[in-house]
Amino acid sequence: MKVSGNATLNAPVEKVWAALNDPAVLVRTIPGCEQLEEVERDAYRMTVTAGVASIKGSYAGDVRLTDQQEPHAFVLKASGAGGPGTVSADVKVRLVDGGDGTTVLSYDADAIVGGMIGGVGQRILTGVAKKTAAEFFHAVDAVLTGAPVGVVSPAAVPGTAAPAVYVAPAGAVRAGVIGGDFAKGAVFGAAVALLGALVGGWAAGRRAR
Amino acid sequence: MTETLHETRLVVNGVPRTVRVPARRLLADCLRVDLGLTGTHLGCEHGVCGACTVLVDGQPMRSCLMFAVSADGAEITTTEGCRAPDGGLGPVQQAFQECHGLQCGFCTPGFITTITAYLRDNPAPSEAEAREAIGGNLCRCTGYQNIVKSVLRAAEIQGEVVP
Amino acid sequence: MFGEPIARREDPRLVSGAGRYLDDLGPSALAAAFVRCPHAHARVTDIDVTDALDVDGLVAIYTYDDLADDTATRVAEPLPLLIPHPALTQPRTAYALVKDVAKHVGEPIVMVVATDRYVAEDICDRIRVSYEFLPPVVGVAAAREARHAVHADVPDNVAAHLLQEVGDARAAIAAAPHTLELDLEIERSASMPMEGKGVYARWDAADASLRVYSSTQTSTSVRFALAAKLNIPVDRVEVIAPDVGGGFGVKIVHPWPEEVLVPWAAIRLDREVKWSEDRREHFVSSAHERGQQQKIRVGFDDDGRILGLDVEFWHDNGAYTPYGIIIPIITSTQLLGPYKPGAYRVEFRSLYTNTVMVTPYRGAGRPQGVYAMERTMDAIAARLRLDRAEVRERNFIQPHEMPYDHQLTFQDGRPLIYDSGDFPASLEKLKKLVDWDGFAAYRDAARAEGRRVGIGLACYVEGTGVGPYEGAHIRVESSGKVVVSTGLTTQGQGHETVFAQIAADELGVPVEDISVTTGDTRRFKYAVGTFASRAAVMSGNAVALTARKVRAKALRIAAEALEADPGDLEITDGVVRVKGHPPGASGGEIPLRTVAVLSNPLRYAFDEESKRATQFAVGSSDKPPVDEDDEPGLEATDYYSPMQATFANGMHAAIVETDPETAEIKILRYCVVHDCGPMINPRIVEGQVHGGVAQGIGGALYERIVYDENGQLLNASYMDFLIPYASEVPVIETDHLETPTPLNPLGIKGAGEAGVIPGSALLASAIEDAEGITITRMPISPSDLFHLRQGATE
Repeated sequence: MKVSGNATLNAPVEKVWAALNDPAVLVRTIPGCEQLEEVERDAYRMTVTAGVASIKGSYAGDVRLTDQQEPHAFVLKASGAGGPGTVSADVKVRLVDGGDGTTVLSYDADAIVGGMIGGVGQRILTGVAKKTAAEFFHAVDAVLTGAPVGVVSPAAVPGTAAPAVYVAPAGAVRAGVIGGDFAKGAVFGAAVALLGALVGGWAAGRRAR
Repeated sequence: MTETLHETRLVVNGVPRTVRVPARRLLADCLRVDLGLTGTHLGCEHGVCGACTVLVDGQPMRSCLMFAVSADGAEITTTEGCRAPDGGLGPVQQAFQECHGLQCGFCTPGFITTITAYLRDNPAPSEAEAREAIGGNLCRCTGYQNIVKSVLRAAEIQGEVVP
Repeated sequence: MFGEPIARREDPRLVSGAGRYLDDLGPSALAAAFVRCPHAHARVTDIDVTDALDVDGLVAIYTYDDLADDTATRVAEPLPLLIPHPALTQPRTAYALVKDVAKHVGEPIVMVVATDRYVAEDICDRIRVSYEFLPPVVGVAAAREARHAVHADVPDNVAAHLLQEVGDARAAIAAAPHTLELDLEIERSASMPMEGKGVYARWDAADASLRVYSSTQTSTSVRFALAAKLNIPVDRVEVIAPDVGGGFGVKIVHPWPEEVLVPWAAIRLDREVKWSEDRREHFVSSAHERGQQQKIRVGFDDDGRILGLDVEFWHDNGAYTPYGIIIPIITSTQLLGPYKPGAYRVEFRSLYTNTVMVTPYRGAGRPQGVYAMERTMDAIAARLRLDRAEVRERNFIQPHEMPYDHQLTFQDGRPLIYDSGDFPASLEKLKKLVDWDGFAAYRDAARAEGRRVGIGLACYVEGTGVGPYEGAHIRVESSGKVVVSTGLTTQGQGHETVFAQIAADELGVPVEDISVTTGDTRRFKYAVGTFASRAAVMSGNAVALTARKVRAKALRIAAEALEADPGDLEITDGVVRVKGHPPGASGGEIPLRTVAVLSNPLRYAFDEESKRATQFAVGSSDKPPVDEDDEPGLEATDYYSPMQATFANGMHAAIVETDPETAEIKILRYCVVHDCGPMINPRIVEGQVHGGVAQGIGGALYERIVYDENGQLLNASYMDFLIPYASEVPVIETDHLETPTPLNPLGIKGAGEAGVIPGSALLASAIEDAEGITITRMPISPSDLFHLRQGATE
């Protein structure tokens, strides 16, 4: 399944790149993201929770970065798994100057969806993925344009060499809950896992430098 | 967006039942799905064929044109309720079998309830009256010949008319 | 039991609300609904589901793209062409969901699965489809004109072109003393069973097996189709037709898109899924029938005998041709009725239009053929000022000419040879029943009162009992109960009763001890289906043949047990006894249930009775417990496969009254004489005739499918498509003739479609007689008649 789209963010390319690389920003803008954890160089683990009506699920995502060309492009390979299914995706991301101090971000994802959620139909999967992405970019844009961002402290002791773990603060802005049911919740969760993994990868990749 | 459910009390075939249904739930669907009484059938869902006819406080009504919530507090009789007290066939049902008044049986529930109410009020109809009594129910199988006969036979069975 | 009008065994559950129709099943299944194309001819350019995503209860949304992605199955391929024919050079069938271009209002584009139907429809409402409009082709005239094409690669809109002829009709007409030309038209109606279509599917992932319930006329064929489309081994698919609320032909088409998609979704989601259509869906997405334009040229002599008959007609087959060209072939062949024209030429073109497809509706092309022929007979009578019954009589095939070979090919691919029938005798009966000869006096009396009355007549022959075959399985259980299964299906024809009657007769068992299952592939796997008035002939004979096998085996086993000769035994009331042996006396009789026990040599008894068959109780050491060419159990399977169809016939007469001012049309009397050979259950046969007559009247006076020039169906509801109520159907007077057929063991013919076939021809005839105005187009409403009157006086 192919999902692509774009968003205009109200900041120049370098600031967008920086925001997308700031775990403090990410953990509170990725819909449902609960924590990010560096596993090794260019590889990260992220946990997101999607809650819809009667179904809440935790999804664990692995992310690997490749082909980074700061501040304009990179490719992200992500996979996420949760109760109702699995997602694995290759996502190409491009940041381009949009003029007037804005950035046009475009993403191109090629995803394979398996398990239960694989059965609900392409339109739902791509629809939910795009919706989630839009919500994420909207949240990032709010950060870039000056909405206050709560401070998040890394769980690890500062100064140690242990991998950092970033935890979402209580009351963080969350993506709107989409009312619905079992399979849709699963879809939402998986799509969130996909997006969360992709963005977590950016941040982690950036941090690694 | 979840629909508000309304507690609705019905007495169906003599048994008090309470359901919690959205306002837009048709009485027919409530009977069939929420109460499991699948004897009432839906042939058109726009009130023309009459297969969905049930008695609401004794009057034949198209249950596809009523909301369940608007029947709150009513006594409802479906075709299942037209059986004999011992669970066997009631007089109208028996007449249908004796007269071959049904073929596929899909429209039959609407006829059974309609005729039950009719004979209660008109126990000894003529053939012309019997034909008119069933003039609001569609049947695609029988050509109505034997349904008219069933009305007359049901009247006999109910003992009002000497055969 | 054969010939007894016993009450139906299936009635107690059906009259008391205990029937199990499709929508009564699967209460916890997910519900499917469809977004259907609202345009007659349009390319789908976008499908936007964004607004549907946040509806509580959404489970899945599928479009053609999802089908195309599923390369493990064949659901992305077009639905099958069921009946190919060499003349059908441009067949087209639909995809289960619209791939690029929708070709009629009602084609399914998106399938939604949700927690219930209300929610599913909410979701459908929020899905936005974008279209690019294409020019629609509506009506035979537009299709013929072919300014636009329904299918881009069929520019003339002609799906098929077939010519059949016997002798040189055109030459005969040219040389005939009298000729006439008629231009006729008959418009679409539709089956409209009270229960629409429905599918309920259960997938068992642990077992990789699929069970599908469908309101269908052919569960065995649906099974094959689904196994093929879903790529599942046939023996992992079972299809069951539950109680079905009428079919009348529309449910013989298969697989419907929904029949494929609902099981497909059930497998993908690993959930039960169910779909029941609503009435509007049925109007725009099932099938219609009857629309034709006809041109007839006939040459005849001074006596009204037809020397040459040349028929050309144009058949509207709608947007797709899954059922091939069966209907126009039936029109072509059954047009001949009980007559023997000197030479006959029939040519048709089957045309595409951007409307719902055309597949059989009770009668399946015969009404159109009879219409053409009977209008011609009336026209000949009018030209020669002869009595209309007389003209027909002069053209009849005579009883001594049977079997009569028309030298044409019938819809089963076999020769059109009438096996039996006595047309003069049928007509005699009809004339008496309706008092044909006394009508003139009746009319004069009516005229004196200012009333306008007319009488009409129409005759038909109906090929019934087509093959390829049907089968039956019968087993006598150790309880003495007899279980009969046959593969074809039931939609109200009383099969549970009539097949039990046959088995009861052949086996000597009380009919109450016999149960019959139809349409369940778990119980019987090889069958064709219920259509074309074939069930009694096909399954009836199969049941008889099978019962005879069971009886023979029972007598063999009983003979051994009683130490008698099988030829000296008979079975009555479920007991095998030596002929002449007093009932109840010991030594000379053995109940069938005991024979059943003995038929299966056991090691392990499972109840008291079965102890009789255990290894220390029976058997002898000089032969094996089960003989080489034998099988355990008192059961058998057999099939009946006919050499050709068997031809029933009928004649109808009607007296109508038309109002001189309002042009209202009322049927005063409707008389039927029909001949389907011996009747298994006369009451059930009569019921079939009644129902058919009501549909014939409906099709002649009330029912009409109306499309506008944009391909919009204007009357997609019962408010505007007028099915007759009891007030529109008069008392139907029937009489029977029974000419048996030599073609099958029971000597019977089919009767399922009989009542409907001559309806339009008959009422056109009667109204014409009342009004003195030529009627060429049917159906006719009071408003149509009013305008015809005005046209006639101008």
